[in-house]
Amino acid sequence: MTLQKALSSSIGSKFLIALTGLFLFLFLVGHLAGNLLFMLGADAFNNYAHALISNPLILVAEGGLIAIFLLHIFKTVTMFVANRRARPDRYAAKKWAKTKNDRSRKTLSSTTMILTGTITLLFLVTHLATFKYGPYYETTEGIRDLYRLQFAVFSNPGYVAFYLVAMGVIGFHLWHGISSAAQSFGVDSPRWTPRLIWTGRVFTVAVSLGFALLPIYTFVMGRN
Amino acid sequence: MVVKLKVWRQAGPGQPGKLVDYVADKVHPDMSFLEMLDVVNEGLIRKGDDPIAFDSDCREGICGSCGVVIDGIPHGPDKGATTCQVHMRRFKNGDTITIEPFRARAFPVLKDLVVNRSAFDRIIAAGGYVSMNVGGAPDANSLPIAKAMADQAMDSAQCIGCGACVAACKNAAAHLFTSAKISHLGVLPQGEPERDRRVVRMVEQMDREGFGSCSNEGECEAVCPKKISISNIARMNRDFLRAIV
Repeated sequence: MTLQKALSSSIGSKFLIALTGLFLFLFLVGHLAGNLLFMLGADAFNNYAHALISNPLILVAEGGLIAIFLLHIFKTVTMFVANRRARPDRYAAKKWAKTKNDRSRKTLSSTTMILTGTITLLFLVTHLATFKYGPYYETTEGIRDLYRLQFAVFSNPGYVAFYLVAMGVIGFHLWHGISSAAQSFGVDSPRWTPRLIWTGRVFTVAVSLGFALLPIYTFVMGRN
Repeated sequence: MVVKLKVWRQAGPGQPGKLVDYVADKVHPDMSFLEMLDVVNEGLIRKGDDPIAFDSDCREGICGSCGVVIDGIPHGPDKGATTCQVHMRRFKNGDTITIEPFRARAFPVLKDLVVNRSAFDRIIAAGGYVSMNVGGAPDANSLPIAKAMADQAMDSAQCIGCGACVAACKNAAAHLFTSAKISHLGVLPQGEPERDRRVVRMVEQMDREGFGSCSNEGECEAVCPKKISISNIARMNRDFLRAIV
């Protein structure tokens, strides 16, 4: 079996979805760590942002990130379509088998992955337009003043609410995503799998709450 | 007791079907679900109507022939039980019960509640075997196998190939079936030499049959009459990834 054919199989596809998803999650962790510098003040945040965007390697990183995103989207959408095709005649009455016993991981999160993924993509476009391609303020040192931009954006309660909802949606996506990725990689043991599922959920809540904290913090600080 | 039924009736493959209402009276709570259908069918035959077609054979939960979706759950409400092991005492007098066939593109309806599960046979034929010269029966314990491994193989080998996993899965995926059939050979020394080839061929055939892919929800495990664990699917994923690199 050629590698290309293997990666197009149902298992290979899920492997790629899991791998790209894992990279995107790691990106989120890094992104959050950088964002939290906002709380240390204007200089720390702006200098960090400047160091990041003035580094020529940023283009490579951005290109890689876009490629990972596109692969994740391509694989999930084609898989979603193929899965729908695998059951052309729907059931008249279908219940979650979860009601039968507890041997199912099905949640509202796991049934809405394609929807929460789509919303995340729409959020991403808005997010980039608001910040990366948003108004350009400059500090007295002549670097981009993203600190000021963040205050400007989150002085609007509408933006704060939008970001909170978006972070909820991403958290919802990861709630199933992280442990599902582990299963797709074939990581499993009777002892560790339940802990792994919960660890994934703890990470999910930590990352979503971390991101949700920033709009609120900025809004409140802007008021004072 | 009396129950109302909504049963999927379909004259043949590819033909349109619909849910038809029936009333089953004189149902005894100790009847099995299939006995209840037998009684309904006797009534239909007496009236000169076409009886409801459904699969069954052993009626003791070991052959894997029976299988319908009862009120939205493959094999009905009981844990670790096949359709033939469900009893009417599970329902209340006056209940309406919806009965549908297992639905998947790879399981085309032949008639009413009977589906064609030959796709499973073709997955087995693609690699679900060990190639060896069989002489006389070997001495017991001539090939030492750890108890834990033997248990694991036995747990996977319990799969009766009923197809409830496919029926329950939102993607109509056959990963639980295929992985059980791969694991019960793969964890034993006799299955080891063909382990890579087996997983690749069986997964290829599974995809070719038009089953969906696994969303790791575990609904299959929840309905499995033999409680086969999705750990088998993780092992299949591992074996497949190992085999292709």
